[in-house]
Amino acid sequence: MQASRARLFKEYKEVQREKVADPDIQLVCDDSNIFKWTALIKGPSETPFEGGVFQLAFAVPEQYPLQPPQVRFLTKIFHPNVHFKTGEICLDILKNAWSPAWTLQSVCRAIIALMAHPEPDSPLNCDSGNLLRSGDLRGYYSMARMYTKLAAMPKKG
Amino acid sequence: MDSEDDMHDANDIESMDDDEGFYSDEMGMDYYGSDDDVDVDFGEDNEGIKRIEASRAENNFIILKESDIKQRQEEDITSVSTVLSISRAASSILLRYYNWSVSEVHEAWFADEDKVRKTFGLLKKPAIQLPSSRELTCGICFEAFHRGSIRSAACGHPFCCACWEGYIRTSISDGPGCLILRCPDPSCGAAVGQDMITMLVSDEDNRKYSRYLLRSYIEDNKKTKWCPAPGCEYAVNFVGDDENYDVSCLCSYGFCWNCTEEAHRPVDCSTVSKWIMKNSAESENMNWILANSKPCPKCKRPIEKNQGCMHMTCTPPCKFEFCWLCLGAWSDHGERTGGFYACNRYEAAKQEGVYDETERRREMAKNSLERYTHYYERWASNQLSRQKALADLHQMRTVHMEKLSDIQREPESQLKFITDAWQQIVECRRVLKWTYAYGYYLPEHEHAKRQFFEYLQGEAESGLERLHQCAEKELQQFLSADGPSKEFIDFHTKLAGLTGVTKNYFENLVSALENGLSDVDSQAACSGSSSKNGGSSKAKGGKGKGTSRAGGSSKNVDSTGMWTCEYCTYANSKHSTTCHMCHHQRR
Repeated sequence: MQASRARLFKEYKEVQREKVADPDIQLVCDDSNIFKWTALIKGPSETPFEGGVFQLAFAVPEQYPLQPPQVRFLTKIFHPNVHFKTGEICLDILKNAWSPAWTLQSVCRAIIALMAHPEPDSPLNCDSGNLLRSGDLRGYYSMARMYTKLAAMPKKG
Repeated sequence: MDSEDDMHDANDIESMDDDEGFYSDEMGMDYYGSDDDVDVDFGEDNEGIKRIEASRAENNFIILKESDIKQRQEEDITSVSTVLSISRAASSILLRYYNWSVSEVHEAWFADEDKVRKTFGLLKKPAIQLPSSRELTCGICFEAFHRGSIRSAACGHPFCCACWEGYIRTSISDGPGCLILRCPDPSCGAAVGQDMITMLVSDEDNRKYSRYLLRSYIEDNKKTKWCPAPGCEYAVNFVGDDENYDVSCLCSYGFCWNCTEEAHRPVDCSTVSKWIMKNSAESENMNWILANSKPCPKCKRPIEKNQGCMHMTCTPPCKFEFCWLCLGAWSDHGERTGGFYACNRYEAAKQEGVYDETERRREMAKNSLERYTHYYERWASNQLSRQKALADLHQMRTVHMEKLSDIQREPESQLKFITDAWQQIVECRRVLKWTYAYGYYLPEHEHAKRQFFEYLQGEAESGLERLHQCAEKELQQFLSADGPSKEFIDFHTKLAGLTGVTKNYFENLVSALENGLSDVDSQAACSGSSSKNGGSSKAKGGKGKGTSRAGGSSKNVDSTGMWTCEYCTYANSKHSTTCHMCHHQRR
């Protein structure tokens, strides 16, 4: 408990200091609970998620950083490795490939990388995975784009 | 121990002028080693040397205790560490990746050392240059530490002892994956070996790690397996060829190396797995069919079977004697029906119509469940008999032998023929059990083979019943006698003789079934010829891979000069006119 708290506090200070360093990621710690974090990440360019802003929720376990944090999308997203309803993310570093040297910041970077490079062979969203696997890039792109516009972009007017 | 008949065998060997006879006798006496004997005994001048090889080849497996496993593992690690000039921890990591094969490690290492080092994270020099400051930042907790409190793998990534401890502990509690632990830095693949682990974690975690390492030596090695018997801690190292997979552990459990099911010769592994699958699928149906009791066919009182053989006698006043399997009168199972025990002849029994339920049974014969029930019931019943016989053997060894020795005034070593008989019964019950799985999968349309199979099985069953009866019932009078009796010598001769005959017969049965009853193709089904002759003649040809089991056509029977007794199937030399086993006239 103490170790995880200390480590999270270090990360908190690092985030405050580096706020401008990575404009794509904005990590915010819950005011009353250092084990709850949220992040706003920008959809990577040249993907259907470009121009969108996606919100992530972090639940950090007490064994952190020996155990990985639980992360899910709060913003709806059409992506093969993200559960369409719950926002659960299928990413190896959040499961068995976790290393205590990862930080919340680096997890966000890994998720941005996942948005740009989906893994259709281990899909949580089968419809999305099937579009990619059958080679229907146009179909995938337009679906993902539509949900980005609906959920991740500020409403016009 | 040695029966009269065995003595005869010994004489035969000397009186015979050809190797074939020698082989055939050997085959009858030696169950496990027979295949190897075929290979080495034949047509070679340097027989002395060959004999030694044969006896060594008899054991195609080695049982390893925990201390043996540790010792072997240490030796392998030392060997790799010496030859490659790397640490023991690194050797252990390499060996684990190459399934503990020393030669494969050598091969890969000397083919491309750099590639091996890179793949498995055995770095030559640090991957990063640390700043020369006195304080370093731990890569996990991000706290600053004095240099002395920082530990690194070969790569040099700095982590504090507490974070290392947590990292390794988490990995060990996650399972054997801790054996391939790497540096916590995600971009780094440097291996973390046992030397670091020993240094950094608690004794308990170290014990767990060692345990995983030991298990890996058995589980990741293609030539070793744990004995599958519950609670057994021995491992088996298989060094034989793929001819005979039967191994028996020091815990007395016998199993098949290939599929780790219980030993199942003569049926093959795929049949066994099919059969076991079927049994579990049908077990719901079987439960009621195989309820523990059956009613006496005469007085209808429920009877629980508590003796090993199928000959049942209802308690007085009924005293009806019947066969446990078919519930028919035991008197029908006499020699008139072609043997002491002809109950396996399912088809025949139906056709004869001796039961009052005949009509109904005939209707249901088309039902596959009925057919399956028939075989399953007999399979399970032999299984139970075998367990009972095992218990009896144990009882015999621990209690009766001493008692009998006192009564008959014979040293226990002279009574070994009794335990030999029981051991044979146990083994025969096992074989017989599996013949029912064999029978179930023998195609219906191969009439000649079925007929021959049922003949062989029937004879096997009757022979075994004779032996079982003798060992179980006839022994009773000597156990309850007041002093030594003259009949005991006769009993000795009879039981030892029966043991020998039965052993011989079952050995032939196994061979015949294993070569797919190929004799049927060339000879009439009921000739009683066994594949032994086929086997020996084939083996004579040289170092054929098939050896005894491969079998050949029974035309070869003549060329070897052997003749097979029609009564007990014992293979006799061409000079004798009566069977050495059962003294029947040659026909």
